[in-house]
Amino acid sequence: MDETVAKTLLRMDPPVFKSNPAADPRKMRRIIAEDAEWSLAVVPLLTNLCLQHIVSNFEAQPMLDDLLPSHKIYVLEKLPPSLPLHVTANLISDEGYWKKCCVQRWGLGDVTEYGNSWKRMFFERHLENIIELFIPDVTDTKVVLDMVPLCKNYVKRLTISQLLPPIRDPQKPEEDDSSDSASDSGNDGPSMDHFDFGVLLDKLIYLEELHLSYGVKGCGMNFDWNLFEFTFRDCESLAKALKSCKTLKVLRIHQSRVDDEKCRLLVNYLLDHPALLELNLSHNLIGDRGARAIGKLLNRSCLHILSVYDNQIRGPGAQALGHALSKNTSLLSLNLRLNRLGDEGGQAIAQALVKNQTLLSLHLGSNQLSEPTAIVLSQALAKNSTLKSINLSCNRLGVDGGKVLEEGMSHNSTVVDCDVRLTYIEQESEVCISQILRSNLSKTCRKHTIEANIK
Amino acid sequence: MSQNGNNQQNAEIPVPSVLSQNQEERIAARRLRIAARIEAKKRSEQGEDSGQKVEDKEETKSQLQVELSERRIQKLKIDGTELVSNIQVAADARESQRRDEQEEERRLRLEKLEAEAKSSLEKFEEISKKWSEAKVREIPQQLRDALKSQSQLCATLLEDKNKLIHDLQKELKVSDDRYVRDLKRQADEVDLMVERMEEQIKTLIKSYRVELQEIESAFEQETRALLEGNLQAWEQMRKDRGNKELENLRQRISRVEEFEGLLQKLRVEDAEEYNMIKSKLESDVQVLQQQLQQMKATYQLNQEKLEYNFQVLKKRDEENTITKSQQKRKITRLQDILNNVKIKCASQEKQSREENQSQTEDYRRIMQQYKHMQKKMRRFAVIDAQKFEEVWRMNEEEVKALVSRALEIDRLIHQQQLGLEWVAPPLPFMQRSGPVRTHPQAHSSALQSVTSMLGRQGEEEEKGRMEEESTIRAEEGPSSEDVVSGSEAGGTGSGAEKPRRVSQKTVKRLLELLCDEAGFLIESKLLKLLTPLEKNEQSLMKLDSIFSAMGLEHEEDVYQLAEFFVRFKKEQAQEQEERGAAGGQDESTEDEDLIHPNDVLKTLKAFTAQHCKARCVASQGSGQGSVSVSMARSVGVDAQYWESMASVISPAKVIVWNSLEKALEKYHTVLTERSKLLVDTQKLRQQNSELKMLLHQYVNSRVNAELEVPPTQVMQIVRNDTFNGQSVPRTMKR
Repeated sequence: MDETVAKTLLRMDPPVFKSNPAADPRKMRRIIAEDAEWSLAVVPLLTNLCLQHIVSNFEAQPMLDDLLPSHKIYVLEKLPPSLPLHVTANLISDEGYWKKCCVQRWGLGDVTEYGNSWKRMFFERHLENIIELFIPDVTDTKVVLDMVPLCKNYVKRLTISQLLPPIRDPQKPEEDDSSDSASDSGNDGPSMDHFDFGVLLDKLIYLEELHLSYGVKGCGMNFDWNLFEFTFRDCESLAKALKSCKTLKVLRIHQSRVDDEKCRLLVNYLLDHPALLELNLSHNLIGDRGARAIGKLLNRSCLHILSVYDNQIRGPGAQALGHALSKNTSLLSLNLRLNRLGDEGGQAIAQALVKNQTLLSLHLGSNQLSEPTAIVLSQALAKNSTLKSINLSCNRLGVDGGKVLEEGMSHNSTVVDCDVRLTYIEQESEVCISQILRSNLSKTCRKHTIEANIK
Repeated sequence: MSQNGNNQQNAEIPVPSVLSQNQEERIAARRLRIAARIEAKKRSEQGEDSGQKVEDKEETKSQLQVELSERRIQKLKIDGTELVSNIQVAADARESQRRDEQEEERRLRLEKLEAEAKSSLEKFEEISKKWSEAKVREIPQQLRDALKSQSQLCATLLEDKNKLIHDLQKELKVSDDRYVRDLKRQADEVDLMVERMEEQIKTLIKSYRVELQEIESAFEQETRALLEGNLQAWEQMRKDRGNKELENLRQRISRVEEFEGLLQKLRVEDAEEYNMIKSKLESDVQVLQQQLQQMKATYQLNQEKLEYNFQVLKKRDEENTITKSQQKRKITRLQDILNNVKIKCASQEKQSREENQSQTEDYRRIMQQYKHMQKKMRRFAVIDAQKFEEVWRMNEEEVKALVSRALEIDRLIHQQQLGLEWVAPPLPFMQRSGPVRTHPQAHSSALQSVTSMLGRQGEEEEKGRMEEESTIRAEEGPSSEDVVSGSEAGGTGSGAEKPRRVSQKTVKRLLELLCDEAGFLIESKLLKLLTPLEKNEQSLMKLDSIFSAMGLEHEEDVYQLAEFFVRFKKEQAQEQEERGAAGGQDESTEDEDLIHPNDVLKTLKAFTAQHCKARCVASQGSGQGSVSVSMARSVGVDAQYWESMASVISPAKVIVWNSLEKALEKYHTVLTERSKLLVDTQKLRQQNSELKMLLHQYVNSRVNAELEVPPTQVMQIVRNDTFNGQSVPRTMKR
């Protein structure tokens, strides 16, 4: 750059003046380079130089809010995504910068899942990465805690798809196996079985969703049951952490081998939680006692959505849930797919529908239900006027059950979705039910349009 | 992965191929059916569309179209999701079936295991029993047989167990296989699902486009129809309007024609009427012309008559004018005279007014001058009096000094020269200073007299009533006479010489009467203030105010008033006597003591009138009189005074003095002679001493010492004598 300047200075010679004597004296003084490549644009402006300097020294001296808006944009464009987070986290709020960071790190992602905020996406995924790669007793908890002040204002959801177990000696696992979740694993065992959420959750003041899976992804041929162990200690620490996190709205613990005991423990700590709206314990090992605990939770919280599909809830558990459901006034959706309710449980749930006035959606698919449940359900459908969607697929209702259900549906005017696939009912009744559903749908559509018109 | 912790997508159960085929077939059939249904519906809807267009144009076709397409898409969606979720449902169903089967298998396996355990236990018991049997055996062969059988049994037991283990391992392998197969199948299903999803999305997009187009076309049609309808309506209305205009025009033309006809008719009628009126009017004109002729004739006649009359009147008029002019001239003359007189009068008035003014001014000036003069005079009088007094004093002092000197001399003469006892003559004037005053306290104030009078009244109250009356009567007689005589003697006599012409009693009564009757003269404020006081004091104060109001100042005035009252009363009585000669005496006697209260005012009025006059005269008199009195006074009294001063030394004493003077003169001459002699002696002594001095000088000089015979020695004796007087050497030195 300096060279070009020097050249231009050298070339500022008389011939140029001679060539245009009639020109404006002001113009004559101007440097008119013979070099075709040279132009004023090549010389960088001082402001640009300064800005470049700011960009290059941003780590040492972050300066952003003092700049003019246009300069700010320029600096943000130029800032490298590799800057340390403690500099940028609370200083930069520009989405462009964080998009750059995200793209550089994970490639293109769907920002709509993160409330259209690249910054949130970055911090959530960053924190998730840290936690997913956290190895108890090996990784320092400071790594996580250092992140807290940087990301606590931006993290609203944590989706943790794996939690690594502590590294153990070959003998120890056997010991652990024998002791299971007993208390004697304290002394010589690791300080924790998995990452302890107690240190984190109460500090994330805006956390609303938490998705957990106690397991290891992609273990391949190194499979070991211990990798998928959700110990009692983990459960207790998690439950306490959950209780301390008052803003939590959605909790999902799936594929984590949560059994009755742990379920009860969790529920015990979640009772009277002020904000929890959705609870998802699918793909676990919850049995009747766990179901009973969940039933207790139903009426001591403001849950809107409860999903416990793919568990081992049987008749008694379903009865407990049904009992809770009959008194509940907040639950909107209940998913009991892939359980073993049987007719006993099915009848209990169906009877609860008679009394319940809030439930909108019910999934009872693949639950070994048969004709008796269909009878009770049809009676309930005739009386219920809030339920909109019911799923009874993969239950052996049979021909008679289908007829009974058809009759029950004929008295109902609110249900718009009734899944009766693979229930071994007759085609005719299926068609009838679908017709009723259609008429219900059109009715509700009309209602909606009328309401909209009125408004 | 565990059997429990996996998704339904990872189902492991090996489904029989028949079933799977069945499902697929069913799925395919369903898909076909759905497609057929959609097709049919589309067709029917299209047909309906055209039908509906014709049927109800009124209803908004676009809305219908929107609803329809909505419904169609809804259905498409439902069907699509059903298609997609079919896979999931099928997987669920398989999973649940697998679980059922698994449970069943587990139950069977457990039963089998239990049975096996039982059988093996039995076998084991058998073996152990045989062991005890074997112990009993003592024959080695038997023992060996037993052992063999035992080992055989054990082998069978082991075989059984191994078989079981083998079976179980087989089962495990089978389930592993199944797991792998399930995984594969699930992968396939996932692929299928993705495929279906894509397909659904494609069909959805397609149908959305179609529906959108249809909706758009419906809207377009609707708008077109609307436009057409509106255009038609517009055209229709335009035509209607044209027709209406035409009709209106026609109507108008017909009406114009009608009106023209009417006008024609009216014109004809008017012409006829006009002709008729014209003929009528012409006849009228003829008649009127005749009348005019007649009128002209009579006019001529009248004119002549009037001309004659006019001539006569002219003559008269001339006469009148002459007389009128004469009268006018007379009037003007008189007017002139009047004006002159008026002018004169005005000038006269003016003159008189001016005169009057000047005179008033003169009068005022003179009055002022007079006042000045008065003031000056008064001042001069005062100054003169003062001067007079000063001169008087000075002279008096001088005279007094002279007198005292004379007396002193007299005394000296008496005591020293004559050796007689000197008696001081009476000298009253020596104590007095200032000019002689003429009775300054002769006139006591009216109020004082009144107070004294009222005070006396208090003393007199002690006496009886009868006595009082008698005294009153006794005093009345002479008093009245006195009054008469006093009044006759002179109105303005000095009050000091005739104080008792009216008795005090009557005066007192009069005063009381005045108090009661002349209350209006007292200020109301004063009355209020007086109420708390005693009666005496009250009346006193009242009288004071009344007197001040009436201008009475001196005691004399009060008596004058009393006199006046009495006189007035008498006059009245006389009048009464003149009227009724008979019984006037009684009444008069009754009224004598007091004037009737009703008459008090009258008398008071009269008195004040008179009194004022008198006072005016008095004041005028007193203004000049005060000076004249002071002047007059000095002539008699002062002369006497001065005389008395001059005559301090009696003539006898003068004779003595004269003789004494003569003797003293003689003595004086003797004394003068003596003094002359004394002077001579003095001179001689002086000469003597001088001579002594000279002598001394000579003696003491140096020449003396050189001399053979010093004179000192000679003069030793002389010296002793001369040392007695010192003045001698001094004079010698000089």
